[in-house]
Amino acid sequence: MLKKHPLITFIFFGFILFLISNRLDEIRVYQGATVAIYAIGIASLILLIGYSGQVSLGHGAFLAIGGFAAALARIHYEAPIWLTFVVAVLAAAIGGALLGLAAARLSGPYLAGTTLALAIGLPSIANQFSILGGEQGITFDIGLPPASLGEDFTQYKWFFWISWTVALITLYWLRNILNSRYGRGWRAVRSNDVAAELAGIHVGRNKVLAFTISAGLAGLAGALLAMTISLASPGVFPLALSFSLATGAVLSGVTTLGGVMIGAVTLVAIPEIALAIANRYGSETITTNLPGLLVSALLILTVLFVPNGPVEQIHAKRAKKGHSSHSLVEISVRVGSKKWSTNKK
Amino acid sequence: MNQFLDMVLIGISAASIYSLMAISMVLVWRSTQVVNFAQAGMALLSTYIGYELVARVGHFWIALPLAMILGAAFSAFIEFVLMRTLQKHSSQGAIAAIAPIIATLGLLGLIRAGIGFIWGHADVQLEAPLSKVGYTFGDVTIVMSPMGLFVLLFVITLMIIVSIVFQRTNIGLALRASAYAPEIAQLAGIRVSGIRTLGWAIAGAAGAAAGILQTVNGTGALTPESLEFSLLLVFGFIAAVIGGLESLPGAVLGALILGLVLAAVQIYISGALVFIVAFLLLLLVLGLRPQGFLGSKAGRRA
Amino acid sequence: MIRINRRKLITTSAVLAIAALTVAAVPAQAFNPSMADPGITGSTIKLGITSPLTGIAAPGYSKIPGAMKAYFDYVNTKGGVNGRKITLVSKDDQYIPTTAVAKANELILRDRVFALVGTLGTASTKALTASTQLSKRGVPSLFVNTGWSGFADKKAYPTTFSILPSYQMEAKIMAKFIKKEYTGKKLALIYQDDDFGRDALAGFKTAGLTFDTYIPYASGSQALPATGAGWISKLKTAGAEVTVLFGVSSASTAALANAYGAGFKTQWVLGSVGGDATTIAATSKNYVPLLNGAKGFSFAPAPTDTTDDYIKKFQEIYTAAYGTTQTFDNNVVAGMSNAFLVVQALKAAGKNLTRKGLISAIETKGSTFASPFLTPLGYSAKAHTGATGYWIGTYGPTGALTPDGGKYTVYTTDSGTGPVVESTYKRPAMPENGL
Repeated sequence: MLKKHPLITFIFFGFILFLISNRLDEIRVYQGATVAIYAIGIASLILLIGYSGQVSLGHGAFLAIGGFAAALARIHYEAPIWLTFVVAVLAAAIGGALLGLAAARLSGPYLAGTTLALAIGLPSIANQFSILGGEQGITFDIGLPPASLGEDFTQYKWFFWISWTVALITLYWLRNILNSRYGRGWRAVRSNDVAAELAGIHVGRNKVLAFTISAGLAGLAGALLAMTISLASPGVFPLALSFSLATGAVLSGVTTLGGVMIGAVTLVAIPEIALAIANRYGSETITTNLPGLLVSALLILTVLFVPNGPVEQIHAKRAKKGHSSHSLVEISVRVGSKKWSTNKK
Repeated sequence: MNQFLDMVLIGISAASIYSLMAISMVLVWRSTQVVNFAQAGMALLSTYIGYELVARVGHFWIALPLAMILGAAFSAFIEFVLMRTLQKHSSQGAIAAIAPIIATLGLLGLIRAGIGFIWGHADVQLEAPLSKVGYTFGDVTIVMSPMGLFVLLFVITLMIIVSIVFQRTNIGLALRASAYAPEIAQLAGIRVSGIRTLGWAIAGAAGAAAGILQTVNGTGALTPESLEFSLLLVFGFIAAVIGGLESLPGAVLGALILGLVLAAVQIYISGALVFIVAFLLLLLVLGLRPQGFLGSKAGRRA
Repeated sequence: MIRINRRKLITTSAVLAIAALTVAAVPAQAFNPSMADPGITGSTIKLGITSPLTGIAAPGYSKIPGAMKAYFDYVNTKGGVNGRKITLVSKDDQYIPTTAVAKANELILRDRVFALVGTLGTASTKALTASTQLSKRGVPSLFVNTGWSGFADKKAYPTTFSILPSYQMEAKIMAKFIKKEYTGKKLALIYQDDDFGRDALAGFKTAGLTFDTYIPYASGSQALPATGAGWISKLKTAGAEVTVLFGVSSASTAALANAYGAGFKTQWVLGSVGGDATTIAATSKNYVPLLNGAKGFSFAPAPTDTTDDYIKKFQEIYTAAYGTTQTFDNNVVAGMSNAFLVVQALKAAGKNLTRKGLISAIETKGSTFASPFLTPLGYSAKAHTGATGYWIGTYGPTGALTPDGGKYTVYTTDSGTGPVVESTYKRPAMPENGL
């Protein structure tokens, strides 16, 4: 159904979420909004790492750019909400383009290390300009839900609706991009950039484009994140956030957009699970350290044994068992008059 | 003039700390073509172990080599368990390039959580064995203390030893060969996997030293989320890149450049710009001379 | 072209939907402010605090919830407040605003506390106040542990009450002191280069004090090797005779340790945030003697002042609760003072305890509450200002701060352009048994 009527699938999913939002208690609604935000952030990394093959360990920096840009637009220009998000995307995308240009010739650990350095350096840049509020941050207040939704419509539900609407639209759009020639181009460059160049793909531009779009999406996630805590400050986008997103991307299966929810839900669920365990045993040390332990352990296990993500793994198994060619992804590339296609990924 | 001298000495002091981490990273890179982002975490763990050793053994000078040995052992263990499994399972596909990076990231988280469990609320302090008061010449005290001098000498000695091992010994040759041409090395009879573990072991020892020396030379306090160590990782990486990830003397040179530039910025411009300048320096080197000052291989790492 | 298998996307969506519906065991809570206030029963009151128990900001501050609990337990043994016993739910936010919001959510929505107390950190407090819509829910946020003057603004934060003097107040009082005591000397200022430090700059400017040397540092950079050495080098070159440090404790430690290493002598003047001897001691016991002779600021009685009624009582209570496992220091005094004020406020709100009642009790009677602080409290219907001044003291070799001149000379001012005056406030006697 997704293939034939993708739009309807997304709308259907949105409808389910709408129903859910009315049934959940406020904490779950808030967490639901967080899941949507993580989904966008993870999707941006799937594009960058899984499709374009470039590693970013500091994506939190782009979330920060988006968050601060949105907050500033709101404070100084009283921009309506949708406009603040647009500003966030543009600001982060510009940042991504710049970094992409600077890093175009890098790969692997060089790129990873550079993005890491950026994530660490960005907060101090924030502190340089008093307009960015320094450690205390600046408020990002999107105002109350419209009166037309009724008096009982809580703030968190409003966050939930906004986050999920944005997330669904973004994921839909991203899916189309990944299915388009741009997506094919990224995949081609990632598997063999020399061949791709020969096939007429401009590798440098291709990579910078991936970075730009990925950063823009991350900026959007950052703006939404700032929205949910009504604040943009360096402490909101710590290094841990960058690591969490990278983890989420790996847990989801970095090569495909389909598993993005897995990572997002896991990231939000694990602290909850840890809290439940800690409450059982009543130890403070456990409460603080268990989430980190669980996430890291999960990450290592995933990378070791399920490196392409659970979704693709299941698929590979099915394909091995002799099912006909329903590989997860089938790429066919037309070079001149020859068609080259893969049946297995 | 006095301020200039101060700046130089401060830069050199900082550089000696960065270079230990940089050497550690270069070692791992040269022996296994991986950048270990958990290096700082492993150094942190080794430092905690060092603290325990000092508490039990009582002498810093015994504890330091012991901690280095344990650090080496732990590092080798990680290579054996984690990196080899990684190679077996995920050497194909999209994830191949970044799998080691992600795995080391996960490792970092595990180490942090583990340290938090064991030492979380403990008041951990590592006392410096040497005085940290600067040497005095007449009525001028310079910014170099016995402790600082020791660190500097330690780094230089380590660099010389490791360089000799890599360039002049058979083991060193095996290390280099295993990294750059593993198949050929294997044909030549070198046990590649064993050699790689050795590379990590040496790096682990250097990292342990980096952690301990940085701590005693600094404030002496240890916490599980030590900001110092995250910064150490990034600055060690930047130093390594500036000098050339391929080159051990490069690691020291890169650290020296980084240390001096940052000290100059701090003293002559503003301390608030330290992180920005470090990042710009990194971009500058990557943009203009990606193989680093002393690196010989031009072009990207694939 | 690329085909993506549709099955797994549908499966994922279905799984997610089912999981979510399973989780939705609780029906949606209607937002109904006319229900009775949560967190109180006929015999109990539940309060909540979120603060850094672990993480970079934990040293020192992590003692506050424990200290508060010790005082609340004592009050409970004496019958509680108007017949109700107090429980304190304490959560760890690691000084990260996103975590602070999540923990505040838990406290308000899950634990259903009556009020928040003592939340720590400007960014965290700002975030959780706005996101959880404290004012719309009417949840009181008492005595937040931060010196940002914005929380005293009743219009912006109707249910929030400050307790600490603001950074501007501190800077203005510092300025008056420096101008009087150190006329003609070369002055230097090391400050954290963000709003915290810049608040101080604003205060210095209002008071008309300029420094010969300004040394800003990027927040976090004090952890780098050689940063402190750089500061000392600059101070040496400038020949600074008086150096003010308006930063966090790790910066004070870096400055003092490097000054010691370089043999550099200056008259240190430490801001209250960075002057926490306990936190410095947590770094290394060796650094505490370096504080000797430095000037410091506080507004509560010194923890080593055994002639003070409050200190005696607090020490008694704390030792009874924790024995010798924890040291009694300024963080403990801060926590117990905070708890003391909370109890005064709850008492003033009467037996018929409501959130609104609590807030108006502080506004109308807050300025006359018994309090351990040596400055008057500024609570009113117009502003939610807490303590309004500082006394100046000197650190001894063990890190104990004792007032200059042997007695507490307190100076008060406001966060704006008002003058700094010597206070004539006489602290009312401690209520019987410290209740």
